[in-house]
Amino acid sequence: MKNFESRVDELRKKFEGALAGVNDDRALEDLRNEFLSRKRGHLTLFFDDLKALTPEERPVAGKLVNELKIQVQEALTTRQGKLATRVVTPDKADLTLPGEKLPWGAPHPLMLFQEEIENIFLAMGFSIAEGPEIETDYYNFEALNFPPHHPARDSWDTLYLGDDLLLRTHTSPMQIRVMEKFKPPIRIIIPGKVYRREAIDPTHLPMFCQVEGLLVDEGVTLAHLKGTLEHFLKTLLGDKIEIRFRPSFFPFTEPSAEVDISCILCRGKDPACPICGGTGWKELLGAGMVDPQVLKNVNIDPERYSGWAFGLGIERTAMFRYQIADMRIFYENDLRFTRQFSLK
Amino acid sequence: MKISLNWLKEYLDGDISVQTAVEALERIGLMVEGREEKDGDIVLEVETYSNRPDTLGHLGMARELAVALGLRLKERNWPLSELAVRTADLADVQILDADLCPRYCGVVVKGIKVGPSPAWLQKRIESMGLNPINNVVDVSNYVLFSTSHPIHAFDLDKIAGARVIIRRAKKGERLLCLDGTDLSLAPDMLVIADEVKPIALAGVIGGQASAVTEETKDIFIESAYFNPVSVRLTRKAAGLQTDASYRFERGADISFPPQAALMAASLLTPFGGRSSREPADVFPLPPKKKEIILRHRRITELLGVQVDETFVQKTLTDLELGVEQQQPGVWRVKAPSWRVDLDREADLIEEVARFYGYEKVPSVVPSLQVVDPIPDKSREKLDRVRPLLFHYGFNEVINFSFSDADRERLLATGFEAIQIRNPISAKASLLRTNILGGLLETAAWNKNRGLDAIQIFETGNVYFRDERGCRERLTLGLLSTGMREEPHWRQKSREADFFHLKGVCEALLQQLRYEPFSFEKAEHPCFEPGSGLAMAYKEEKIGYLGLVVGRIREVFDLKQPVCAAEIDLELLFGKQPKPFTYEAVAKYPAIVRDVSLLVPRDVSYQDICKAIEKLPLPILEESRLIDLYSGESVPKDKISLSFRFVYRHLQRTLLAEEVDRAEQQVLVQLKRAFGAQLREGGKIDNRTGKN
Ligand SMILES: [Zn+2]
Repeated sequence: MKNFESRVDELRKKFEGALAGVNDDRALEDLRNEFLSRKRGHLTLFFDDLKALTPEERPVAGKLVNELKIQVQEALTTRQGKLATRVVTPDKADLTLPGEKLPWGAPHPLMLFQEEIENIFLAMGFSIAEGPEIETDYYNFEALNFPPHHPARDSWDTLYLGDDLLLRTHTSPMQIRVMEKFKPPIRIIIPGKVYRREAIDPTHLPMFCQVEGLLVDEGVTLAHLKGTLEHFLKTLLGDKIEIRFRPSFFPFTEPSAEVDISCILCRGKDPACPICGGTGWKELLGAGMVDPQVLKNVNIDPERYSGWAFGLGIERTAMFRYQIADMRIFYENDLRFTRQFSLK
Repeated sequence: MKISLNWLKEYLDGDISVQTAVEALERIGLMVEGREEKDGDIVLEVETYSNRPDTLGHLGMARELAVALGLRLKERNWPLSELAVRTADLADVQILDADLCPRYCGVVVKGIKVGPSPAWLQKRIESMGLNPINNVVDVSNYVLFSTSHPIHAFDLDKIAGARVIIRRAKKGERLLCLDGTDLSLAPDMLVIADEVKPIALAGVIGGQASAVTEETKDIFIESAYFNPVSVRLTRKAAGLQTDASYRFERGADISFPPQAALMAASLLTPFGGRSSREPADVFPLPPKKKEIILRHRRITELLGVQVDETFVQKTLTDLELGVEQQQPGVWRVKAPSWRVDLDREADLIEEVARFYGYEKVPSVVPSLQVVDPIPDKSREKLDRVRPLLFHYGFNEVINFSFSDADRERLLATGFEAIQIRNPISAKASLLRTNILGGLLETAAWNKNRGLDAIQIFETGNVYFRDERGCRERLTLGLLSTGMREEPHWRQKSREADFFHLKGVCEALLQQLRYEPFSFEKAEHPCFEPGSGLAMAYKEEKIGYLGLVVGRIREVFDLKQPVCAAEIDLELLFGKQPKPFTYEAVAKYPAIVRDVSLLVPRDVSYQDICKAIEKLPLPILEESRLIDLYSGESVPKDKISLSFRFVYRHLQRTLLAEEVDRAEQQVLVQLKRAFGAQLREGGKIDNRTGKN
């Protein structure tokens, strides 16, 4: 019995000592469990031990344990109330120790870059539309004014799934799908994966990401295309860049343009420049005024409406911006590479 | 297209420097991608467009430069040494399939001494990156690279019956081509035949049997216009691409065949060549000359700049277009035969813009009126999913959509994979039917580079074929392996295990309000037996998760446990989530009771939850599993589950007796349903009446 009393005392001391060291809710909860847990709580086990005592001893001992239980419960409740207001200064703790590590997941750099592009256009009142990657010849080529068997198709080297089914070679089919469904004014950008029959090398991949833009309204001009793309590219790549528009050919735009950006690496001074090859310019996107035939194909009157469209490769743009030499790195998904970009 | 500066000067009046030429070409969209000095000449590599076959020769480039620089084109004369005999008396030309060959010209050149070309000609041929062969072949190539018009020379003596018949091939016919290919001809291929057999594949390549050799004396020069689509289909079917087919399939100049033939004949006179009079010219299908109306107003409307009318008229006239003013500001325009790209008003406006200069078009930010956004539900939801996953510590990856037979067999998703007809390699011959394959590859890549904590996800399409055809579905894949965090003094690093990933799935579904969701045990070919769960929302299976089976991990050399999940986002996003409603914050305190129960091991937690939910207990606000124990003090066939029950009444403070009654109901229900027993001392009144 004596023994039992001293054990109760010991436990009380232990509790009081432990309580003094409690300085947060979690520690308090741990302490509550340590003493009161229904399985292994010190007090729970004490109650079990009562069975071993004589019937005479039991009530006295039971009272002792019960008193301690009430004391413990009350002390815990009181401390809980105090904890909220106590100023916590971890005594003796070395405050230069590192804080807890909070894990964070990072977006893929291509998605980050895509979002950056999207946001510039969202601010101008564009909507985002995504379309199917498996397309028909009609949407990928014919409706975009590629005649059947025309060599223009060779520049869009295609992966075929069937006689009429293919993996879209550009995001442009979605232009048609949107214009079929909505009437002008139309302002959309179309991000997505596209596919080409290309062998993998540092600057070519059989799958890559594109963003397409389309604006159709009354009175839209080539001057508007220039103005919008300049605003877009300077917002994306910085005010210092120069932009050059030059004539080009795409079946679905007329007139067509290719847009070049001044080389930020060598400014045209290094014949061995990995970005521009010394020309001073890097071709970044294709654009143009929507071909009247394309508008006719979706029952939009080209006499009343005009529009422009552009398309750019996200990888190529990101490579230019961050001077990444090898396109393949985006699809290696090395987390040491991808995670960096969430810090930008 | 290779362009020699010296060659250009054969056509351009006036001296131009390389720099001037390059700048002028680039301003009008002909980009110079390389330049090379060769024997006092400079050869430019100029990018051309598939709609501009006229620029595939020096004459065409010279025309462009002449307009861009305000230079004049030189007139070139091709004097002949003529025989008395007419072409028709030496060779009989007959077109049987005029749809595939609207025009065919021929001229006979007799008495040639076949031999090496003179130095000037060899230089020209070499500047195109070709080896000089002999004067006849070199002259053919000279004409081609000068005018972009392909011609072909036959040994006249080897044309049986001196008959040149342009017809479709007959079944079973063959042609031994100049490059050595023994071609089996199909009936839709156009051939040049003599009385007996095909002697050339029209517009693509000549035959060996009729080829010009050292012994050749008399030749028949072919200069024709072949149907572009026919040439393209034929050369694709034959697997041959030649300088000739490249030009014919883009559209040759239908007016030019006689000139090209006579130019070749003229160039052969120094080698003794004398040409027949009156070249054969069979022209069954002369095209109609199209007239295009060009309105000055439209130029302004499309370009956003006022281009001077005189500039428009002068540019088009310089480009050798027929321009006739119909009324002020309106022109009738006829394009020359070599400009196959000019068909419509928009095409002419582009020509005006090209020579006006894109740089002179102002940059104007359009004033944009407010338009209704085009909604994209799937996209909006995806924009919520991704940040949640970042928050849970998962990194986004993007893998190629390709797969191969081995991988599909290994992962055996049960979907029929879509085959790519013309894959770039066997490794990319199918489209993926799952996200998991790419995630495993990514995990292996990072593991091999020393990364221990790998939590990754990908959202993208999977592809498969079903009775409705080829399908693509937006899918989320999750993979977690290794540690969840690097070791740190404050935290023990936890291993990424099944319940970690399950928690991620649950949190995601909860935060998107896809509740109530449920999980059922389900075997899956990718998972260890007994480790798989199927996820369901509104009774429909939306995904699965589990521990990746060893034989799959081995393939990717992943030794540690790997948890993975896939959720069909397309299906999920198509379903209505629980509507969002605001609930008033409770004003009255809750009573919290912890209860430990001994439950038979074969009872599942989910069933217990369902049994509790079924009870008519509006005051039971929440029940949560706070501990699970199966140690010494617990019988072997049982497990101890500790629940925390939160009771609350929304309008008043609860009485202890009410809670006791409710608790009793819970215990009775669980006892009846599962034989659950209260553990000794297994009740704690927490008294933490949180408000
Ligand atoms: Zn550079």
